[in-house]
Amino acid sequence: MQTLPIISVNIWDMLYALLNLLILFLLVKKFLYKPVKKMLANRQATIDNEYKNAEDAKEKALSDQKLYEEKLSHAEEEADSLIQSAVLSARSRESQILAEAKDQANGILRQAEANAQLELKKAEQTIREEIVSVGTVMAGKLLEREVNTDDHQKMIDSFLNNIGE
Amino acid sequence: MKTSRRFQLLDIFYIIMMILPLAIGMVIQILTKPLSEGITLTGARIFFTIPMPLQDFYITESQINSLLVTVTILFFCLYMVHGLNERVQLKRQHFAELIVQSVDKLVVENMGEYFKGYAPFIIAMLALSAFSSLSSLIGLFPPTSDINVVGGWAILVFILITYYKMKCGPLYYLKSFTEPIALLAPINFLSEFATPISMSFRHYGNILSGTVISTLLAVGLSGLSSMILGWLPGVLGNISWLRVGIPAVLSIYFDVFSGCLQAFIFAMLTMMNVSGAFPMDEYFERKQKKQAKKQLA
Repeated sequence: MQTLPIISVNIWDMLYALLNLLILFLLVKKFLYKPVKKMLANRQATIDNEYKNAEDAKEKALSDQKLYEEKLSHAEEEADSLIQSAVLSARSRESQILAEAKDQANGILRQAEANAQLELKKAEQTIREEIVSVGTVMAGKLLEREVNTDDHQKMIDSFLNNIGE
Repeated sequence: MKTSRRFQLLDIFYIIMMILPLAIGMVIQILTKPLSEGITLTGARIFFTIPMPLQDFYITESQINSLLVTVTILFFCLYMVHGLNERVQLKRQHFAELIVQSVDKLVVENMGEYFKGYAPFIIAMLALSAFSSLSSLIGLFPPTSDINVVGGWAILVFILITYYKMKCGPLYYLKSFTEPIALLAPINFLSEFATPISMSFRHYGNILSGTVISTLLAVGLSGLSSMILGWLPGVLGNISWLRVGIPAVLSIYFDVFSGCLQAFIFAMLTMMNVSGAFPMDEYFERKQKKQAKKQLA
């Protein structure tokens, strides 16, 4: 078989090699470089997106935390003030009720006292009348004479008054 | 990762298509190489000739082999990119990313941001050059040891260099020859053509020298073997025992190391020359002036 000499210049062979390299360049670009680059760009975009999402979520969580903490401290204050006002109103109510009760008790006592006095007076009156009548009869019997009831009455009254004193 | 049956079948198809061209090359080699040739040093064998103007177009081993290597690289790329995912699931994806990213970095470092689009070209150049040189490992004729192949690539680089030098207009290009003084114009003109020639000869010479040294070593070891071990009876005496193993050690340097290194050097020189040829400051200055003029008008 015929061979080329070790050094031989052939323009068509050179052109063939040149085109071969160019075609391989296009093939490599299309089938290796572009897909890998596209994948890398996609991956970068995905990673960036994920990072952004994570940061957003973290920011949101922090702001939420702040909000809740604020709300929580407010709630405690509110609860404190509520309890305090309740205690105050309860105390005032208590003293009011106590005063009312005292008043009522005093009223009842006074009423009772007045009633008793009245009863006492009534009883005195009845007893006095009884005594007068009894005394009159007894004196009549004793003296065997008619005694003027009116005189008698005066006498006994003064007598009883002396006793009652 | 669990893959579907179709995915696996496609994978197998890609692997077969990667190996098939090399196997075809080996079969062609076995079928066409005359046995009686012995150890000789020749250029590529011509399979057939296509008559063309100026010169005949020879379809030789280097043309066939470079085509086969191209197909192998194509399917290797397809195999690596197959199953590409944002979340890495296949090991080969790491390799694909490594290639793309490291070459990207290399191009940006050596050529600058403006030439970022050169990355796939550099990948193609590195792959074609390295795979061509390494094809000698499986007994093929390495296309890079043919001056026409490497010369073709160098001409492409020369075209690129000239294109970037012309970017500021042909007048600026012609003026650049007279620097630093007009007297040096012929030398500058010569150095213009020296670039592709030196590039192609460097690459081609390094690969060919590996072949030459391997051949010389094979001849020497054959002679030595028949001298020392020729007394062995019958067939045993005819076998050159010293050619077993010893050439492999040298082949690591001359075929593997040199092949990869020359591919890298060729790519580096391409990057340097192309980016160095572009008068960037001048170009942007002119562009700005043009835009200012447009705005005025």
